[in-house]
Parts: sequence; structure tokens; C-alpha cells
Amino acid sequence: MSCSPFDLRDSVFGELDAGQTRAVETHARACSACAAELARLRLTETALFSLREEELPRRIAFVSDKIMPPRIWEARWWSAWWNSAPRLGFAAAAMLSTAILLHGYLSRPLAPAPAPATPAAAALIDQAQLDARVAAAVARAVAAVETAQEIRLAKTVRQVEKRYAALREEDLMNLEASYNLANQKMKARYASAMRQAAGAFADGGVQ
Amino acid sequence: MFRLIFREAEDRDLIRQAQQGNVDAYNLLVSRWEKRVYNYLLRLVRHREDALDLAQEVLLKAYQNLRKLEDIERFPSWLFRIAHNEAFSLLRRKRPENDDIDPAASEIAAALPPGPSMLPMETALAVDAALRRLTPDQREAVVLKVYQGFKFEEMAEILACPVSTVKSRLYTALDLLKETLAPISHRSAL
Repeated sequence: MSCSPFDLRDSVFGELDAGQTRAVETHARACSACAAELARLRLTETALFSLREEELPRRIAFVSDKIMPPRIWEARWWSAWWNSAPRLGFAAAAMLSTAILLHGYLSRPLAPAPAPATPAAAALIDQAQLDARVAAAVARAVAAVETAQEIRLAKTVRQVEKRYAALREEDLMNLEASYNLANQKMKARYASAMRQAAGAFADGGVQ
Repeated sequence: MFRLIFREAEDRDLIRQAQQGNVDAYNLLVSRWEKRVYNYLLRLVRHREDALDLAQEVLLKAYQNLRKLEDIERFPSWLFRIAHNEAFSLLRRKRPENDDIDPAASEIAAALPPGPSMLPMETALAVDAALRRLTPDQREAVVLKVYQGFKFEEMAEILACPVSTVKSRLYTALDLLKETLAPISHRSAL
């Protein structure tokens, strides 16, 4: 328990004003117990500062695209429109009318097409069109499958890389801990050997 | 000192511009704060990839909610409040409740002391091990105060608790750290 006029820890952490800090220092000069405690706190703080800040493995730059939320007036306009039931009803009715008109226009009877020269030629044209359509459909399907495959592969690679990075980091930490342990053991053995050698030398000297 | 004041003034300007939708201003703000946020998260979650992912998440959330920040002066504590929430959300997801203190840290700490003096690297390892022996709450209090230099009132805002709780966590942690680190630091200074 400190007898200082202000908390010594607040003084070390810079939470006291200049006058309070001076009062603590003046007190510490006259009180050996508080001076010792203050020294211990400062040594602890010094040790803590030996742990340096790390640099980022890579920069964070994720806002190169405009991803801000919509502007306020836009948000209000959209919200007002979206929340207005009569306007939505009107829009739905307009879309339905357009669809009916379009359907009527597209399904009207067309002018009779010129008859094919011969049934054999018509069959050939149909076959060629069918082949072309099948080829296009197959190409589209293959492209879609390939794209999906690429996405899955990229995702898997990312997951594997992340897992291996974690394992590598864990290995490095284990290695560092083992190295430090071995280092300490070696130091202890060296100190013990030196002590034994010094003892032997002293015994020899006495004799 | 002047540089610090100048930087704060520039930060205020950048925040104001970013609030009006200036992406470049926010990118510049990110380049100024990313290292602090990353190191804070790294001390809490103790995993570099997780800390980087979280830092990205924190800065993205800050960007999306920047308009809600009314008092620009509170930007640092507001940003670290987001970081605190993200970090503890991850810690809750990843770890069972009774696994707060790293058991390996005790072994490392026990292996370190005997030498008459320690190298800076060994001191740093001892500090790391000592910090890992604290609970996440205590460790966070130390990180916010010692490494990030926040005042008690700002820490209370970040942690959403009273100043008395902040001081209690910090001083308990300090007592634990003092036992381990003061002798080491004394020997290193010799």
C-alpha cells in the first residue's frame, strides 16, 4: 500500500496533471518505499515497451471502388417510391398491360412464308439449324461448368493457403519456443560447467 | 508535439471529407490507422492472419458507418470500439470460455529467467509470455493504455464499462506483470 498523495500507477501512466506529478516525485524523494515502488513500475513499463509494433503483412486497400451508401436524397426518393402502395400498384398494372400488348403483337398471324423448293432441301436447312443450336447450347453449358469449376478451385486454393499459413505460423512459433528452451538449457549447463571448473580450480589451489 | 497536433487536424479534415463520400480521403485515413488497429487486434487474438482479416473488417465497418459518427474528436475511441467488438466476437467463436489464459505461456516464461542478463529479444519474448498469461480483459486494458496510449475515459468508452472497472483491470494486470517483468528489466538494464 502506497503512502503517496496520488496513485503511483496513475503517475507512471501519465494520468496526473503536472502539479500532481511533481507532488508524487517530491514524495518519492522522501519515501524510500514509494521510490522503490515507482522504480518497479517504471521498470515494468520499460520491459513492456521492448515488445515492438509489427508491420502489416500487407496493406489494407479495399475501398478503391465506390461502395459508399447511396446519397441521402436518393435514398429518400427510393424509399418514398418503394413504400408507396398506389404507385407500386400502378407500376404493376402498367407492366401487365405492356406484357398483354406485346404478347398480342408477337402472336399475330404472320404472312405465309415462301414454300421450300423441295422437301429434301428444307430438311437439310432444318438439320443445319438444329446442329448450330445444339452446338451453341453445348458451348454455353461447357462454359458455365468451367466457370463454376474455376470458382470452386480458386475457393479451395484460398482455403488451403490459409490453412497452411496458419500451420506454418504455428510451426514457427513452436520452433522459436524450442530454440529458446534449448538456449536456456545450454546456458544453464555452461554456467554449471563453469561453476564446477571454478570449484575444481579452487580445490586444487587450496591443496 | 506540433506534428501530433498537425496530424490530428489532418485526421479531422480527412474524416469530414470521407463522411461526404470522398473515398481517397478514407483510404488515406486507413493508411494512418491500419497499423495501430492491426497491432491492437494482434495482441488480442494472437494470430496474424486473423488480426489482418479483422482489421480489414473493422475498417470496412467504420467506412460504412462513418456518417453516424457525430463527434469527429471521438474517432479513435469509436474506431477501437468497433475493433474491440470484432475481436471479442472472434474470441467467443473460436475459444471455449475456460480457455482464456494460454497454458504454453507459463512454460515459456518458466524457461526464461535464469541468466544474469537478457538480450532484447529474450526480454520481448518474456513480455509476450507474460501478456499471454493475462486474461483477455486484462491484456486488452494493458494494450489500450501502454501500447495505444488511451486515457481512462477513452478506454471506458471503448470497453463500454465504467472507468473504475478499467482501472481495476489495468492495475490487476500491472501487479501480475510487475512480478515477472520488473526483475527482468532491472537485470537487462545492468
